[in-house]
Amino acid sequence: MELPPYLMASPDGVPWLTLLVLSPLVGILLVGLAAWLRLDDRMVRLGVTAWTGVPIAIAAVIWTRFDPAATAAGQGVVQLVEKVPWIQAVRVDYFLGVDGLSMPLVLLTAVMAPVAALASWRLTDRVKPHYALLLLLEAAMLGFFVALDFFFFFIFWEFSLVPAFFLIQSWGRENRRYAAFKFFVYTMAGSIGLLLLFQVIYLAMRQVGLPTFNLIELGRLGRGLPVEGATGTLRAIIFAYMEQLGVANVLGRYPLLYTSIAFWAIFIAFAIKLAVWPFHTWLPDAYAEAPVAGSILLSAVMSKMGAYGMLRIMLPLVPDASQYFAPVMGALALVGIVAGAFGALANVGGDLKRLIAYTSINHMGYVMLGIAAAAALPGGATLDSRAIALNGVMVQLVAHGLSTGALFFLAGALHARTGSWSLADFGGLRVVAPTFAGVMGTALFANLGLPGLAGFVGEFFIFRGAWATLALFTALATIGLVITALALLLMFQRIFLGPLNDRWDTLADLRPGEFWTVLPLLALLLLIGVYPAPLMNLANATATQLVAVFQQVLS
Amino acid sequence: MAFFLQSAWLIPVLPLLGCALITFTPLRRNKAASGWTAILLMILATLLAVGLLAATAQGLALRDGQLVTLATGHGEAASHGEAKDHAFSFPEPNVVQRINWAPTGSSLLQLGFYIDTPVAAMLAMVTLTSTCIHLFSLGYMAANPRQSRFFSFISLFTAAMLLMSMADSLLLFFMAWEVMGLCSYLLIGFLYERPQAYRAAIKAFIVTRIGDVLMLLGMVYLYTQAGSLAFGTAAGEIFHPAFLERIGTEGGLLGLSHATGIALLLFGGTIGKSAQFPLHVWLPDAMEGPTPVSALIHAATMVAAGVFLVARTFPIFVADSGAALAVVAFIGAFTALFAATIAVAQYDIKRILAYSTLSQLGFMVAALGIGGWMAAMFHLLTHACFKALLFLGSGSVIHAMEATPVIERLHHKDEYAAQQTAQDIRNMGGLRTRLPWTFWTYTAGYLALAGVVPFAGFWSKDEILADAFKGGHWVVFTVLTVAAFLTAFYMTRQWRLVFFGDYRGERPVVFKNPEASLAPDRHEDGHGHESHGAHGHQNTGAHWHEDPVMIASLVVLAAFAVTGGLFNLPFALPGGHWFASIWGQEALPFSPLVAGISLLVALGGIAAGWTLYGGAFARAADRDPLEARAPAVFQLLNEKYRIDELYQASFVRLTALLALVWAFIDDVILNGIINGIGRVTLFLGRLNFIVDDTLFNDGPDALAGGTVTTGKGARRLQTGKAQDYIGYVFGGAVVLALLYLYVIGR
Repeated sequence: MELPPYLMASPDGVPWLTLLVLSPLVGILLVGLAAWLRLDDRMVRLGVTAWTGVPIAIAAVIWTRFDPAATAAGQGVVQLVEKVPWIQAVRVDYFLGVDGLSMPLVLLTAVMAPVAALASWRLTDRVKPHYALLLLLEAAMLGFFVALDFFFFFIFWEFSLVPAFFLIQSWGRENRRYAAFKFFVYTMAGSIGLLLLFQVIYLAMRQVGLPTFNLIELGRLGRGLPVEGATGTLRAIIFAYMEQLGVANVLGRYPLLYTSIAFWAIFIAFAIKLAVWPFHTWLPDAYAEAPVAGSILLSAVMSKMGAYGMLRIMLPLVPDASQYFAPVMGALALVGIVAGAFGALANVGGDLKRLIAYTSINHMGYVMLGIAAAAALPGGATLDSRAIALNGVMVQLVAHGLSTGALFFLAGALHARTGSWSLADFGGLRVVAPTFAGVMGTALFANLGLPGLAGFVGEFFIFRGAWATLALFTALATIGLVITALALLLMFQRIFLGPLNDRWDTLADLRPGEFWTVLPLLALLLLIGVYPAPLMNLANATATQLVAVFQQVLS
Repeated sequence: MAFFLQSAWLIPVLPLLGCALITFTPLRRNKAASGWTAILLMILATLLAVGLLAATAQGLALRDGQLVTLATGHGEAASHGEAKDHAFSFPEPNVVQRINWAPTGSSLLQLGFYIDTPVAAMLAMVTLTSTCIHLFSLGYMAANPRQSRFFSFISLFTAAMLLMSMADSLLLFFMAWEVMGLCSYLLIGFLYERPQAYRAAIKAFIVTRIGDVLMLLGMVYLYTQAGSLAFGTAAGEIFHPAFLERIGTEGGLLGLSHATGIALLLFGGTIGKSAQFPLHVWLPDAMEGPTPVSALIHAATMVAAGVFLVARTFPIFVADSGAALAVVAFIGAFTALFAATIAVAQYDIKRILAYSTLSQLGFMVAALGIGGWMAAMFHLLTHACFKALLFLGSGSVIHAMEATPVIERLHHKDEYAAQQTAQDIRNMGGLRTRLPWTFWTYTAGYLALAGVVPFAGFWSKDEILADAFKGGHWVVFTVLTVAAFLTAFYMTRQWRLVFFGDYRGERPVVFKNPEASLAPDRHEDGHGHESHGAHGHQNTGAHWHEDPVMIASLVVLAAFAVTGGLFNLPFALPGGHWFASIWGQEALPFSPLVAGISLLVALGGIAAGWTLYGGAFARAADRDPLEARAPAVFQLLNEKYRIDELYQASFVRLTALLALVWAFIDDVILNGIINGIGRVTLFLGRLNFIVDDTLFNDGPDALAGGTVTTGKGARRLQTGKAQDYIGYVFGGAVVLALLYLYVIGR
């Protein structure tokens, strides 16, 4: 198949992305084999943890094959493309590829999987299915980040819910059924609009002779970039279809109206996943009730799917409505930042995992703010400001994944020692567990955005980018910086400082295995915090091309 | 000399290396080895910094790796007398090294080092005082089981301060600045078993962070306007003349020019870090940290950083019509007086010094506010030396007090109360003969702070007053003069009560620990001792002891407290105006009138303090003479105007309340809506079923039936066993794979 200049096949012809998505699935086969052979659970643990190295290795290969600076025809070049016609009747292609938006998240997913596997190390209950589900979740998330045809994109999106649901429901805490159900139904219900929207878009595209679910082509049309076989913008195409259906006669002849409807269908689906206020209430329940491995994958990777969806679909397909509603997104982001921070503060005497969950809502608020800022008017903002906002978003996604993953892992290690999640039960543990305190402190300071660690880089660039377009929201969002810091420091104090609670006189310090699990995450946080260029280079070119469209007034 | 310029980057790296070595290698298990490692690396850094200062003072510079001599700007500016109102410029940088740090769209963000002569002076001061503090800690912290960790933290603290000083841009400046915030948190809360310590640590971090987020906003504002945060005057850098001109005139928010907005937001950082009113509340509480930490925070690092921030970004502050500087001057002058009045009524030896730090920082900030950049920087450097000296001297006093039998006995009952009691100046007296080294060095620091000629503080404070006088800033001049009087007064009070009269510690005023029940006495297990029993002499008389390494560092600092003024003597002698000449600033001519006033005020304060406290405190439990005269006022000052209580009742409560409100919104309102929707959906489903079942029988029923059947079928699939689900998943995957093969095969 002849590829347009903005798509580039794998240089060596190897379908690396397919291998990447399949590799965890092969791992599941191996688990099945182990079950069939009645192998010991320990073997499964070890095997799966080792096997998570395979996706990491493949992701590393993809990274080396990926040229982040490549741009063509107004967008970052999508690379290692595999594009095979699949369901001809509805023009569905098996279409995988990576660009600057997906590459960092692919790497993040691959890196977090072994952490999740190691977090389940002490599990004794139904070990094999647990590990199989972890691998399945990894495969679904990897697939989601590399799928570029809506059909597959959506399948991976929905499919990721299944293992997550069962992980929460089967290995979670007391309130797991409610949490799992809420999580599942909420996300599912939110994406109905997205599904319907793409039916409409498909039909509209059919009217202009290019029926497609190809997200790259649709994104190009949305931004008014040329696509072979189609003319006009997606907005015009949708509007023409609405006129043809007669809808425009009823609802009004405003093209923006229809892109706005599309915008809200997309936004709600992804905002739920990203836990944007007020769609966030599933998150504290899900994160808190899930088993530790589930919390890690949910917080570190799954919530990033929402942000990625916005970058992949919302901004390029409906830039005009995104720009129009950017202040609304910014306002929701701000409320989420504040709500997450105070929500965390409200939990300093309560549940450790809920507290971390609320800080996640706060951090995803910054992500939302960055995305809103990249899209927002006014024209005074430079292109660089918008690109900086998105660069900040990408760093924030990775940094939050690493630091929250580490925090959840350590929370789990603490629970394994004490049997408690309640912050009221601890105190003074630094005396008996100094290494634990040091490691958790580092993860915590990375989380609250201490310079020198990755979180700061993300937050700084988001604030820098957002100031240019949404200055007031940016200024108010700093409340979150102070309150989250307060909540996290109080959390640290409740666990580690003060006089030692006599119950934990003999508490074990961090074991070498636990230490070496967290250390790579902390090392990455430090590395990105001190020198973020390697990570930011991945996304910079693609992000810059993506936001160019917002330099004009679109509606 | 080129060597010092080329190896400037090592200056922050050496203490950082010390921190890493002590933290990550087996060194951490050996207290002495870790201490000496840190000290040796600090000494190396000091040598490099002093060499760098010498090299830059000669005008040597690196340009593209080549050694050149800067022709202009040095010494020449000093002779120019004519005052250009807004003109302020830094000397030419001596070393600038940058690397690409992050891509920002089509541009690149660079970070690196930027060293000019004021920076070189800062580096020399910071390394010097910090080395003394390291050395002092070797003795002072000897009894603490966590001494190694202490060294690793103070080394990191120093590294951050050094990195901040030589940062090439506001971003790196801020990053190092925040790392200092972390270090202050770690060190103030070093004795973390104590509720007072961790509370003070959190308070310090959060209160300074409030200032920091304002500074962050100022940075992003500036970055948005300038397109960069790099120091320098080239196009695209933040001191580019045309850029400053533009932001000084163009309007931003609320009728303020961009320059005013940026400057005020940046100044928020100074208010937090340099503990200016109204964010001053963290600094006195920071006394909960071990005394060398107080010295480090109050002298060499942290609080100096805030003043240095304004000094470093001064062209932005002077770019507007003067609105930003007016605020700076007001806050500084107010804090100078406000803190001085509080210091008058404190009993804790460290707290008096803490409020004196606030007050002196107020002097510097006020000096910047009236355009006296030169005077502020000079005072910053001299103050660092003598304040470090005073804090370490007080540490030596406390160290000795804690070894007295009375305090030791108390220590076994309540460690915290013992420490507080040991720090109470009412319980001291007559230490002049018992701690002679401490007395003489402390006296040098005291005279420097009080502003007595020829000690360091006199010259620098005099220069601030002279600036105010010359510029016609009468309000600032008056306020600072009153503050200077109070400074001399409260320092005399302290000095007299500590070192003169009779020793009162046999029957001390014992501190009542409100946390006594919360903080169980854990001294048996060896944790939490700051300095307990280093020299456990039990028999009276022999217990007064001064530690040699501690004395050594006091002597070094005392030398600078005595001679610090030499660096910028206000006379046109050879060697006069040295800082002014190497910094390329206008040298202020000596004003005998202002110097006379300043000296008179200092001597007046000393005389008042000496006479008032001459016969006071025959016993520790006596009333303070001031309290006897004006009990209400004294009480108010002693309670620090009750500002902590005010904040507690307002901001702290409000924060807690807001947390409850948000929790309510989440748990009741939003979850209520979600769960409500869920219930309604279930209800509608049931209703639908009933309606279907009773009213319709054919088409719809079949549909419903189909749904139900499918649901039942699906339910049968949903066994709840994960193995089965995985089986289905497999089935699906296999089918997909076959399809894929089939499609490819075509």
